[in-house]
Amino acid sequence: MSSNAVEIESLSKMFPTPSGLSRFAVLESLNLQIERGTFASIVGPSGCGKSTLLNIIAGIEAHDSGRVCIVAQNGTNSAARIGYVFQSPRLLNWLTVEDNIRFALEAQNIGKLRWNERVKKYLDMVGLAGQERNYPLKLSGGMQQRVAIARALAIEPDILLMDEPFSHLDEITARKMRVDLMHILEHAHPTILFVTHSLREAVFLSEEVYMMSVKPARIFKHLRVDIPRPREPEDPRLFDLEKDLVKEFFAVLERDYR
Amino acid sequence: MKLSRPALLPGLVSLVGLLLLWQVVSLFFLASFLPSPAELLSRVAAIFSNPPAYLIVGKTLERILAGLVLSMLIGAVIGLVMGLRPAVGSFFDSWIMVLLTFPAISWAFLSVLWFGISDLAPIFTIVLIVFPYVTMNVWEGTKAMDKELTDMAMVFRANQFLLLRKVLIPQLMPYIFSSLRISFALSWKIALVSEAFGAGRGVGKELMYWFQGIRADMMLAWGVSFMVLMVLIDVMVLKRWEKRVFAWRQIAVA
Amino acid sequence: MKNHAVLRISSIVSFLVLWWLGSLLSGSEILPGPVAIGHTIIENFVTPGPEDKTAVFHIAITLARILVTFSIAMVAGIALGLVMGLRRRVELAVGYLIPVALTIPTLLAVFLCVLWFGYSEAGGLFAVVMTVTPFVTVNMLAGTKAMDKELVDMAHAFKANRRLLIRKVLIWQLMPYIFAAFRYAFGMTWKIVALAETFGLKYGIGYMFTFWFEQFNMVQVMAWIVLFVALMLILEHGVIARLEDKVFAWRPVHAL
Repeated sequence: MSSNAVEIESLSKMFPTPSGLSRFAVLESLNLQIERGTFASIVGPSGCGKSTLLNIIAGIEAHDSGRVCIVAQNGTNSAARIGYVFQSPRLLNWLTVEDNIRFALEAQNIGKLRWNERVKKYLDMVGLAGQERNYPLKLSGGMQQRVAIARALAIEPDILLMDEPFSHLDEITARKMRVDLMHILEHAHPTILFVTHSLREAVFLSEEVYMMSVKPARIFKHLRVDIPRPREPEDPRLFDLEKDLVKEFFAVLERDYR
Repeated sequence: MKLSRPALLPGLVSLVGLLLLWQVVSLFFLASFLPSPAELLSRVAAIFSNPPAYLIVGKTLERILAGLVLSMLIGAVIGLVMGLRPAVGSFFDSWIMVLLTFPAISWAFLSVLWFGISDLAPIFTIVLIVFPYVTMNVWEGTKAMDKELTDMAMVFRANQFLLLRKVLIPQLMPYIFSSLRISFALSWKIALVSEAFGAGRGVGKELMYWFQGIRADMMLAWGVSFMVLMVLIDVMVLKRWEKRVFAWRQIAVA
Repeated sequence: MKNHAVLRISSIVSFLVLWWLGSLLSGSEILPGPVAIGHTIIENFVTPGPEDKTAVFHIAITLARILVTFSIAMVAGIALGLVMGLRRRVELAVGYLIPVALTIPTLLAVFLCVLWFGYSEAGGLFAVVMTVTPFVTVNMLAGTKAMDKELVDMAHAFKANRRLLIRKVLIWQLMPYIFAAFRYAFGMTWKIVALAETFGLKYGIGYMFTFWFEQFNMVQVMAWIVLFVALMLILEHGVIARLEDKVFAWRPVHAL
């Protein structure tokens, strides 16, 4: 019984080139293992396939070869629960905040009796108590994204996927959201796979940082961030880590693009 | 948008002018040929002070309602299927196109030949003319659906039924609603044509009766009062309903 | 796209087959089959019908009426729409009449015009023009309001040959609206002419509808309906679509 929540072996994914005549590898023989309960970030420049990796794990895209295995928490072979927070909130604007969360609960076949408690619990957790009856369009961008987070958390997923969830927000809201996410993690601690192009964000939030390059699309570096939580955004240790990672990144990028 | 007083003025002036013109011209003709505004009103009052008039209007409304509801249902379902299964869409595209070409009168005649003088004839006519419009509208709507929301629902493993109910159909509502008001406008006009020679009792029948009796005043009385009723329904029922259904659309003022 | 053509053809074929099967099941009194209808249509062309007129005569009359009313409605509608769009006063003065005009049921319009003008060409045609013009007007009004003011200012700035420039600037911007109105009004006109012919005009396709309907002759009624629909389809999709391509040749092709 592995303690891993995610196991990916030799994952490959090809896309056709714009001309349609040949194919190039978006992901090539990618290996990744994430222990249960870890917050893991995947960092890389735009276009390196991080979102594709996430989509494959989530089941929206198919892979060409290799093995993707998400292990359910109870250790059985049942299908794992996957929560996903997208770059944009992707809320159903015609449903109230609470109904949006109920939608996910219904989709996951979670019993109706548990709905009310979950809605309340996770809305409280993201700081949106009292907003249940509002419609998404009445909320700010940051609040909408919080609803999306609550929605993903409410199904109590085996793995929570987050695809650059704060990249569409203004900087101030994004910073607040990062800190808030950090605090949420004190209450709920699913396995998280967090995709971002920001090293700083990755280093601040995660325990494991995986760095991806473009050509070939592989993970070339893995780093543990051993600083205990809750972390301060201004912690100098984070700056140092980030500096090192940046150096490594540039080295790899230079090599790749030669 | 409320118009300011100076903006309303030209409209009011022309309205008064037209009424005066009408009054003057009507003096040259018999009331049965061209009634004055006052005479028209008295005809309307005479009609609606008699109970049978309400039954007649009620009958026509019944048919319009039935035809409209059926058209919306059939049209929406077909449009949805055409949108979700592109092959089906391409197949039925030409049928719908052809149906849109039929003039109301053709179905009116055919339905009387098939069903005789009955309720079925006007309802059938309405459905066959109106449902293609609804189908086209809903079909367009399916093409405009947000793939990101469908992906989100897929990730959360929503089954087809839940996807349809909570994600797809709500996105189609604007299209369904816009076709509702157009369909209503079409339906009542078609009902009149169809009733003119294919119904036992109805407003269209009254129009035909008075047309054959060469009574323009009675035709106008029935016609105008029915028009007013239709506009009232459109504004007071349909428009309001539309507003309520789309209350979620109001974006908060920053 | 080959798939598309195959689907289209199979769609038409399957319709014909369904029709034919339906006619077998229900009998030719209720649903005459495609063969019987086709036969009747041809006969109508070849043999003189009621009052010694063949189908060609009726079609010609209907087409002539359509041409006349359509042209008048387009000219009147465009003019009205332009005037209302360019002169706010006018729009405020008569704008409210447009929704009223759009609400008037065609049946009532035809009946009234026939009563008032007598059973004559003038009455029927006036009813058609009266009903179609508001639609054209609404379209043109929207188009005029949507015009790019900057282009008009640019034309003004160049002063030389002002009138001509403005005409060239305005008209081409209005073209899409004119065409939209063209297509929509054309489709409308057909149907309203048919209605007017059923109740208030002599000769024409609509007249034939009523004639055979009053004789309970299902085959003939259907034959004339099929003829009407076929003609309309050919005109709408054959002729107008071609025209549109020519007129809009200057537009970049949308990459769809």
